[in-house]
Amino acid sequence: MSRKLSQVLEESGLPLHFEAFGEAPAEVADREVKREPGPRAKRLRDLYYQTLSSATNEFPYWYTRGYMALEGEVPVVRRALALKCAFAHLTPTIFPGELLVMGKAHYYRGSFPMPWLSEGYYMAKEDELYQAALDKGSASADEVSQFGAGGGNVTRSFGNVVSIAGKFGIRREEVPALLQVARAWAGKSVDDLGHKYEQMVPGYEVKEAIMKAVVCMFDSGYTLPQGREVINYYYPLQYGFDGLIEMARERKAEVAGRADGDGMTGMNRLYNYEAVIHVLEGVQAWILNYAVEARRLEAKEADPAQKREYAGIAECLEWIAHHPPRTFREAVQLCWTIHVAVLNEDAISGLSPGRLGQVLWPWFEQDLAAGRLTEEEALELLECQRVKFTCIDCFASTGVVGGVLSGNTFNNLSLGGLTADGRPACNRLEELILEAGIRCVTTQPTLSVLYDDRLPEPFLLHAVECVKTGTGYPAFMNNRVAIEFLLGQYGQEGMTLDEARAVAIGGCLETSPCSWLPLTLASNSGRAPDGGTYLIPGGSGQPTSVGVHFISLPKILELVLFDGVDQRTDLRVFPAHGRPLSTYPELFDQVKAYFARAVEVLSLTNNIQHDIWRKNNMAIFNSLLKPDCLENGHLINELGYRYNATHNVETCGTVNLVNSLAALKKLVYGDRVVSLDEMREALRENFGFKRADEVGSYSLADQEKRAEGDVYDRIHYLCLTAPKYGNDDPYPDSILREWEEWLCAMCRDYESLNAAPYYPCQISVSTHAPMGAATSATPDGRLAGTTFADASMSAYPGTDREGPYALFTSATCWDHTRSQNSQLNLKIHPSAVRGVEGARKLLELSRSYMRKGGFHIQYNVVDSRMLREAQRIPEEHRDLVVRVAGFTQYWVEIGKPIQDEVIARTEYEGV
Amino acid sequence: MSYHLDCRNYAPLDVAKGMCHVRKEIILADGTSCELFERLPKCKHCQHYTPGSEAYLGVCQAEATRAMTYPDLAGVTCEAFTWAVS
Repeated sequence: MSRKLSQVLEESGLPLHFEAFGEAPAEVADREVKREPGPRAKRLRDLYYQTLSSATNEFPYWYTRGYMALEGEVPVVRRALALKCAFAHLTPTIFPGELLVMGKAHYYRGSFPMPWLSEGYYMAKEDELYQAALDKGSASADEVSQFGAGGGNVTRSFGNVVSIAGKFGIRREEVPALLQVARAWAGKSVDDLGHKYEQMVPGYEVKEAIMKAVVCMFDSGYTLPQGREVINYYYPLQYGFDGLIEMARERKAEVAGRADGDGMTGMNRLYNYEAVIHVLEGVQAWILNYAVEARRLEAKEADPAQKREYAGIAECLEWIAHHPPRTFREAVQLCWTIHVAVLNEDAISGLSPGRLGQVLWPWFEQDLAAGRLTEEEALELLECQRVKFTCIDCFASTGVVGGVLSGNTFNNLSLGGLTADGRPACNRLEELILEAGIRCVTTQPTLSVLYDDRLPEPFLLHAVECVKTGTGYPAFMNNRVAIEFLLGQYGQEGMTLDEARAVAIGGCLETSPCSWLPLTLASNSGRAPDGGTYLIPGGSGQPTSVGVHFISLPKILELVLFDGVDQRTDLRVFPAHGRPLSTYPELFDQVKAYFARAVEVLSLTNNIQHDIWRKNNMAIFNSLLKPDCLENGHLINELGYRYNATHNVETCGTVNLVNSLAALKKLVYGDRVVSLDEMREALRENFGFKRADEVGSYSLADQEKRAEGDVYDRIHYLCLTAPKYGNDDPYPDSILREWEEWLCAMCRDYESLNAAPYYPCQISVSTHAPMGAATSATPDGRLAGTTFADASMSAYPGTDREGPYALFTSATCWDHTRSQNSQLNLKIHPSAVRGVEGARKLLELSRSYMRKGGFHIQYNVVDSRMLREAQRIPEEHRDLVVRVAGFTQYWVEIGKPIQDEVIARTEYEGV
Repeated sequence: MSYHLDCRNYAPLDVAKGMCHVRKEIILADGTSCELFERLPKCKHCQHYTPGSEAYLGVCQAEATRAMTYPDLAGVTCEAFTWAVS
């Protein structure tokens, strides 16, 4: 029988410990804080648990039909009319018990493909999908229910349902039409056109090889071209849709035929305003279709209470389709409607509601004061809102949805922070948002506290109480660090300190530029709110995480060690460097050189993809929401947003790179106990172990020795015992600092299509699993195919032996304000933070990291044994959530490599 | 024979099941309809619809463009939908 690495090390006197600062109690411990949502939200959440991820062809069909009928129209108007056609034809569905209504599609958890972005998947799978559609299976309740083990994922076809990408189900009777629609976009999609032109970049073959070898995870321009940004609800809240249409009509008349000094794009304003009007009319029709449906249900409903609720829904929708909201409920509904409209306009992950508790505060405050609302009613709405956000699915390819997103959509709601004049910005409504997050545990929206020392202690302790539910939210983000980053990146576009204080998190943890806008409660509301002007925050920047999507740093090192050749595929990725690598500086220099080459070619090709996107697929609805598009008449494609310097270079595997460099520096160049060739051979032979995919586990401890694998034991032992990041050890920490200082500077040498410098983004999302799977063994002792360390500042599992404060010192050896973010995840046993004293310890722990200058910290408060149990019996853990990397996800809906990685993370038994 | 997913009282939760607005219970999309069945407007019930030569495809004759369509496309929001005379 094969021996596992954990056994081998135990025999060598080097036991692998994944528990630190004590031992876990003998009994498996559950989370301390557990509450239940109100009956309405509970029913709706239970429905979600039973619901499959479902795709429909309705939106793509009507969009394509509208678009194809308008050959020759001005591109922005053509797109607007296609969107209008699609929105106006969506079938409205309202479910009994819903207070908040409307969704992406007519299913409870619906979504749809956008072949105008990329149709290649459907063309490649055409025969397979078509056959699946024609093969009628036997539909049965039993077959449907067995998907419980994968949550709502439709992992295979059954009955009249065809599985797409192992995630979404689509009715077989829709498949042939979907394939027809996809075919219509062949040669016209952003993917196809982008590919045509990106090949004109000199050295394009390097990019092709980079993608094949999984040095980079995915292209940016046609996969998720928007998102990782903060939405702005302000304009419809302030003016209503009728008001915005009127505004656009007035501006259209003012700019028609006028360049106004801008010979390049001045004339475009006319078409842009025309497009804005069309899209707004489409969104209005969509809302009113739901109102009609509510009236239909009201008329048929026998139950008086449900009948009244349908009437209330209809009244709300009939009003907000035209006017600014009068009440808290209408404001909540309108914000949700706007959110879904943006999500339907483009393939988006990480569309964050921003500081929603501060946006909705005016209605909450005034309704409460006027006796129109109670806190319990507000809480019920907020719980329903959580279920609605959790129902959002993003339809993209398997690689993107599974490999990067883990099925999550990253709608991050920010709390706290500062006001424009520097006072704590948290409010009572934000406390209710936290409470809704505690009572109604769901994956969306995830929560982030914009931490500032001035935030009141009770608010912060409420946040800590929420963390103790084990939901993984809220994360703590350093407000000061975020503001300094924004001023550095957007100062050239005029950002001031006051404006920087409007910051919120877009997506997982992407620091995003925002602005304050003056909201006056509408005088035309007819229900006479008490008036008053409020400064409310909202997003004002382009998507902040587009550009170079995830470069695998350990893979770069592998290519350096093997002269540019990928060890998994034998493919040459980079031209041979031919250097002997006889010194450590030479090695590090080559790592930087290959990384820079990757960034160069990927930034150029992604610039082209995004340029193609913005020519034919520009955001119109999202644009009109963002300052200052309505004022200046320019949309996202003409840099109408207030902040446009938003492209980034994302990295993955930082800690494995640093630990590997530390091992090489010490063993090969310092102590000289291993030659570089010996190291290469050991890596090539995976230190004598099988590959992770052979073993079926992606965790280091579970890896199994090959029968003849002992010859590499010495080298492997030396690699595993070499200095490791996370222990306040200057040896690896100095390598991290040198890397970060170089990285943060070098990204700014590259120019985005918006003629602005790139910046680094250091989060892993879920890429550390597939990128680890594609990477050979690394000199830090990690074995081939196993998952990298998560995030960017988390220690590799089991290697942080000196406690959390030592880890914090290591993590903050560099200046986090130079990067859009950094990410640190900690797993803590529930017993370590039990009770009031435990809560205070957890707060102090977070505070300590923030004061040291760390940007982000988040916690999994969980007993690892519970996760192993859930892996063994998933059907009994449908509601179990864990924090992955910047997002919370249902355990049963994440892939095994990430499950293994979360289990393996060091578990702190004390803090 | 009619199925739940062709009924106006059926609110689709997902591709396999939905909620009956009248009975307030979850039912299978492909289950046989009951006495409360009320036909949902779909292209296949529209007088402008002509079946195509391939399975699950047809043509909409409502506009001069004669756009491709498919029999199970819902017609609830289609301005041209007209019940076919059966």
